[in-house]
Amino acid sequence: MDYGERLLKMTDSKNHTAATSGSLEGRVFTPGSMKEAVEAIELAFDYRGDVTLVLRSGESVAGYIFNRQDDGSDPYLELFPADRPDPRCIPYRDIVTIAFTGADTANGKSWESWVSKKESERRAEAEKCEAVARTKGYL
Amino acid sequence: MAVPISQMYTVATYVLSQKLKRVKRYPLVLMLEPLFRCNLACAGCGKIQYPDHVLDKRLTPEQCWAAAEECGAPMVSIPGGEPLIHPEIAQIIEGLVDRKKYIYLCTNAILLERKLDEYKPSKYLTFSVHMDGLKDEHDLAVCRDGVYDVAVKAIKAAVKRGHRVTTNTTLFDDANPERVRKFFDEMMALGVEGMTISPGYSYQKAPDQQHFLKRARTQELFAKILTRPKSGWQFNQSPLFLDFLMGRREYQCTPWGNPTYNVFGWQKPCYLLQEGYTKTFRELMDLTEWENYGTGRNEKCADCMVHCGYEASAVEDTFSTISGFARTAKLTLSPTSR
Repeated sequence: MDYGERLLKMTDSKNHTAATSGSLEGRVFTPGSMKEAVEAIELAFDYRGDVTLVLRSGESVAGYIFNRQDDGSDPYLELFPADRPDPRCIPYRDIVTIAFTGADTANGKSWESWVSKKESERRAEAEKCEAVARTKGYL
Repeated sequence: MAVPISQMYTVATYVLSQKLKRVKRYPLVLMLEPLFRCNLACAGCGKIQYPDHVLDKRLTPEQCWAAAEECGAPMVSIPGGEPLIHPEIAQIIEGLVDRKKYIYLCTNAILLERKLDEYKPSKYLTFSVHMDGLKDEHDLAVCRDGVYDVAVKAIKAAVKRGHRVTTNTTLFDDANPERVRKFFDEMMALGVEGMTISPGYSYQKAPDQQHFLKRARTQELFAKILTRPKSGWQFNQSPLFLDFLMGRREYQCTPWGNPTYNVFGWQKPCYLLQEGYTKTFRELMDLTEWENYGTGRNEKCADCMVHCGYEASAVEDTFSTISGFARTAKLTLSPTSR
């Protein structure tokens, strides 16, 4: 049982659905204590996708957690909101739930699966990636 | 000689001045990541797995220059992402040249030839082109056909215009030593100033988790590649670091040697691990628990032999021990004596 599974036993809310095997994508945590909040936010910090935080005020904040400070008297995290340019600082004590709502950008793109694809599929995928880059003016 | 005398002199005087000032930890190369967005998605890369709104963030020229000044390292390496995507990268480079920083702009070269007009040749600026092997190996590594040919064409164009050009190569456990040696021949034939090589680091977020090198295998592979080097090969890195890769010298990691700055701030503790961020370089140096990182100290560091942790250790060895200095001098003056 890995760390994420152990945590799920403790805090995962009943409405979670794991969208992708081995990823936290789609899961929702409702920490019951500061210790559980620290553990859940550590997972969210390590997650390469957006999360959605529901705060005690009722506000919902979606974004990418890029930093956290949990060794002081008032732990906080730093997040780039998906809809705003500037980072936001949120105290752990304000957080009610943490949902892994964004796509896990580090999941499901294994080298082996890429190599084992049919040539035509690989070419199609490469062309798609190239088209996106071209649209953005990066090629 | 791969590295110009002026650059060697600048680095040597910088290191010696740090020693005279009894500075215990000093940076050697600032790793400046102005963006994470790339126009490739290489299987061994763990740098670009972010949501789109993060990939669209970029450091401003002012942030880049402030980071270089705050850090104080004599060299600045600019990886990414693909730096040439950044719309203000030429301005960023110009400001760093003005500050007399030796810059390695790391690029996959897809956009290089098209953008060469934006750069003036300078002893301070080197285009460090990502090349992971001969055509078949490189195109497979970058997951796109045709990129090798584009990069070769761009290298030739940059060399022709008088730019400093090097290659940077990451090797994985499926590398064939004979093919790598042939690749070195081809790169030097293009007229590059020198090459840099390093084993890949097992990024937790990289798609390819099965082909990263373990420590013993790294030493075995690099010994096969680098023993009896050809006279035409030039490496743009410390000869002692190459000794280390071959298993001939033992070093502990110097994670503060190549501090990393990007859109999140100063990255703790190094270019490869993301344990958190600080707002200032001083906080990074003062608040990071450095003793927790390096060989035998952290499982994430167990197999790491990457240049950003160990090249600074090799440079420290050169300036701290007679044997290190003598060996560096010998291999610099006579690279084939390895």
